[in-house]
Amino acid sequence: MASLRCIRELSRRATTVLSINQTRSICYLPAIEVSGTSISHGTVISNRSLTRDLPCDEGEESSEGEDEDDEDYEDSADTEVEREYSPAEKVEEAAEIGYKVMGPLKPSERLFKPYEPVFAIVQIGSHQFKVSNGDSIFTEKLKFCDINDKLVLTKVLLLGSASQTIIGRPILPDATVHAVVEEHALDEKVLIFKKKRRKNYRRTRGHRQELTKLRITDIQGIEKPEPKIVYKPSKEAVTEQSKAELVA
Amino acid sequence: MALRGVWQLQKLVVSYCNWGGSSRGIRAFMESELPALKQKNPQLEVVTELSRGQHPYLKGIYRNRNERVVCVKNMDPEEVLLNATRLRNSLGRKVVKLRTRHVTKHPSVQGTWTTAVKF
Repeated sequence: MASLRCIRELSRRATTVLSINQTRSICYLPAIEVSGTSISHGTVISNRSLTRDLPCDEGEESSEGEDEDDEDYEDSADTEVEREYSPAEKVEEAAEIGYKVMGPLKPSERLFKPYEPVFAIVQIGSHQFKVSNGDSIFTEKLKFCDINDKLVLTKVLLLGSASQTIIGRPILPDATVHAVVEEHALDEKVLIFKKKRRKNYRRTRGHRQELTKLRITDIQGIEKPEPKIVYKPSKEAVTEQSKAELVA
Repeated sequence: MALRGVWQLQKLVVSYCNWGGSSRGIRAFMESELPALKQKNPQLEVVTELSRGQHPYLKGIYRNRNERVVCVKNMDPEEVLLNATRLRNSLGRKVVKLRTRHVTKHPSVQGTWTTAVKF
């Protein structure tokens, strides 16, 4: 078993080095340097380790023996290669995975309007939120945006106001929700504690999830009710009135 | 790290030692990546402090007068850059477990449903 593990480690290190230099086409090449009894494991590993960096359909196969390799791989995940995205790829991935489109960075304009009684149900990734003007939302880390970036959330499932509701099937093509990125931060540490009693097995692991906070600024695609203008009497008029009352 | 368009990190204090080995990474960071960071964030006041004989740290001072200190001893310059970027990216709020992922002041537009509501 130890020798098998050694060979797996070596093959994995070799394939990660290869994946840095190669492009997507390496996915379809068979494993190169693995020998001995672990050839079958080797091919599966190389596909899996490559598919970490490059999306590939071949890596979908999940076998029972891969659980150990998963853990080993995550230990060396600090040296993970950051994939370079071309601008077109970025836009495509953002639109597909996150259902958002990057707008330009925020110049000195006033985006933050007072509350409007209109809501929308928006999907980001696999999570859906019911948002209104001025709300904040915590989502999984959105890769291609920086702080103070304007985003347009394109996957809108439902729009509603006090008098009207527009339901999408499944999305509304003309509706947009504008948002601004407020922060990219880490959540609080959660401790993952595993124990099997009477088996001398205890593991502690910490995890901090990377989150993005979005502030929703505008919802478009539905008629908004006109804001009521409340006339407030000025303070001087009030003090004059009270003085007049005193005199009288 | 911008609340309604206002940047929250006001000052970044880079404290290092010019003799100790734990400051090697941060010294390299100061030569290689700190100028780029300063250029990209003109609103941020970056200060370098020399504290001999101490381990290096990054201190971020936020608008809500909160200070976040990150010890960067024995770190590579890339890791120091990551930590500095994280400080710049976050609001100064205390790191607590999120209650909800959706924070709103007006939860209902069409009226909250009760059993008495008839459509």
